[in-house]
Amino acid sequence: MSTNTATRLGDRLGAGVWYVYVALVALFLMTPLVSLVIASFYDGRFFSIVDYEFTLGWYEAAVTSGSIRSALMNTLYISIPVTILSTVIGTAAAIAYTRYDFPYREQFKLFALLPIFFPLILLGLGMSMWSSQINLGYGIVPSIIGELVWISPIVMFVVSITALGIDPNIEEAAKDLGADTVTLYRKVLLPLISDGIVSGAIFAFVLSWNNYYIVSYLSGPQSTITTWIHGRMTQGFTPVVPAVASLIFYVSILLVVGAAVLEYRAVDDE
Amino acid sequence: MSTMDSLRTRVDAVTETDHPIGRLITPPGILMIPMSVLLLCMFIGPMLAIVVFSFQTGNSIALNPLEWSVATYEEVVGGMVSGEGVYGDVLVNTVAVSITTTALTLFVSYPAAYALAHKITRYKLVFLMILIIPLFTSVNIRVFGWALFLVQNGVLESIVNLFGVREYASLMYMRSTIILGTTYIYLPFMLFPIYLSMLSIEETTLEAAKDLGASRLTLFRKILLPLSKPGIIIGSLFVFVLSLGANVEAEILGGGSIFTMASNIQYSFGYSQNWPLGSTQAVALLLITLVAGIVILRTIDLQEIASRGE
Repeated sequence: MSTNTATRLGDRLGAGVWYVYVALVALFLMTPLVSLVIASFYDGRFFSIVDYEFTLGWYEAAVTSGSIRSALMNTLYISIPVTILSTVIGTAAAIAYTRYDFPYREQFKLFALLPIFFPLILLGLGMSMWSSQINLGYGIVPSIIGELVWISPIVMFVVSITALGIDPNIEEAAKDLGADTVTLYRKVLLPLISDGIVSGAIFAFVLSWNNYYIVSYLSGPQSTITTWIHGRMTQGFTPVVPAVASLIFYVSILLVVGAAVLEYRAVDDE
Repeated sequence: MSTMDSLRTRVDAVTETDHPIGRLITPPGILMIPMSVLLLCMFIGPMLAIVVFSFQTGNSIALNPLEWSVATYEEVVGGMVSGEGVYGDVLVNTVAVSITTTALTLFVSYPAAYALAHKITRYKLVFLMILIIPLFTSVNIRVFGWALFLVQNGVLESIVNLFGVREYASLMYMRSTIILGTTYIYLPFMLFPIYLSMLSIEETTLEAAKDLGASRLTLFRKILLPLSKPGIIIGSLFVFVLSLGANVEAEILGGGSIFTMASNIQYSFGYSQNWPLGSTQAVALLLITLVAGIVILRTIDLQEIASRGE
């Protein structure tokens, strides 16, 4: 009996150690982001916790600055089309891969998902050289096409996982009950994988919103928020940079939490 | 899987047409076309451009089909083999950064992945969220956050000052700072593959082993390690390849004083405008990535991820 309580206490302590460890990893992952947020509210160039002076001034400066606003608009001009197009392209490829059998099916998966595993600097570099050879040029449109190459496969990955979790018998039943292809997609398949599609789309937006490498190689003279921040970081730092970076981060947080809750709900339902 | 198979044959029977164009505009053909066209035009093309340019002469940025040369290969490979000069340094820095990063991320992630999959029950979603969020925040924003944390008059210094330490040496612009940056950035790419393979280990398996008297070491050696191997392989390859391509980390945290392969490639393209030289270095990265990517994708089983237990 006494050994039993002892082990149980030991187990509790053991479990506590695991929690502490994971919390430390989480803390490590949040450190730079927290630093960023702290700095964005700090009034002054040199940072100090002791005489920290809170200000919203940098946010105000960020919102009213013309160059930041145009970078923000460029980011949206890229992110919104990328979200829509990559969701369509990625979902279509995911449905083809998960719901049909065809020759070279595994090879198609391999080919379509490969760009995910490439370092972005390699993709960006190659695209920038290729773009100049095929006269695609540099700017908003090439940036959109460039980001699609990396983001569509990620959407395909996310949607495939949802689609593979669905019982194929449901489709069979629908077909037996006389559903044609259009009805099958509209009434059965797409609603079933809609959670996957929505979280895929949210991820697509956040990844595009935060993309730096591909855009920096393809956007030419147009600056986006991430290239603007990078420029200010390497030359001519101003205290407004943490505020702009924090703003991007807040938007990402909201969307990622939304997507995760959606995904979690879908898993929970099963 | 027999239902899946029978469904597939049925779908095939419905969509089967003899005409090749007919087959293209019905599923799955039409569903595959957008992705295939996109990747053929903007993924295969660019990667070929890197290879083709690596065999060009001089500082050309326009393609000259008549002139081919391996001069840049001689320069780069020669420099790396002799271990001297810029390329020797680059090789040492890059290997040091990538291997250390892979080892560190594995070391940190493995216990965390185990804990998340088997020990953490309360606030699990919160923990997962905190671990996921950095993955979706721009690389240069997070690296910038580290710079704010580490730099003189930064957050760390002001925390250290609270404890009365006044002598503060800046931690920026060292090789280990770059490794801190890459370890930080690529940690989730190690953590999540291992976490997913840990999830596939049933709790009952672990308990059965314990009941049969397996010690902790045996449990780890005979059960955890073999069953989480796919995750370790995927994570390690992923982190290794991605840290080979790490440029922002070297640029911001290394302050441009330490050159890695990625920053040297960037330099060849940006400042010296020497596309063949930059391409030659990028070809090495391309080949390693290609092999690693194929291994990763062959190891990943999407079906298994889809059916993972929560």
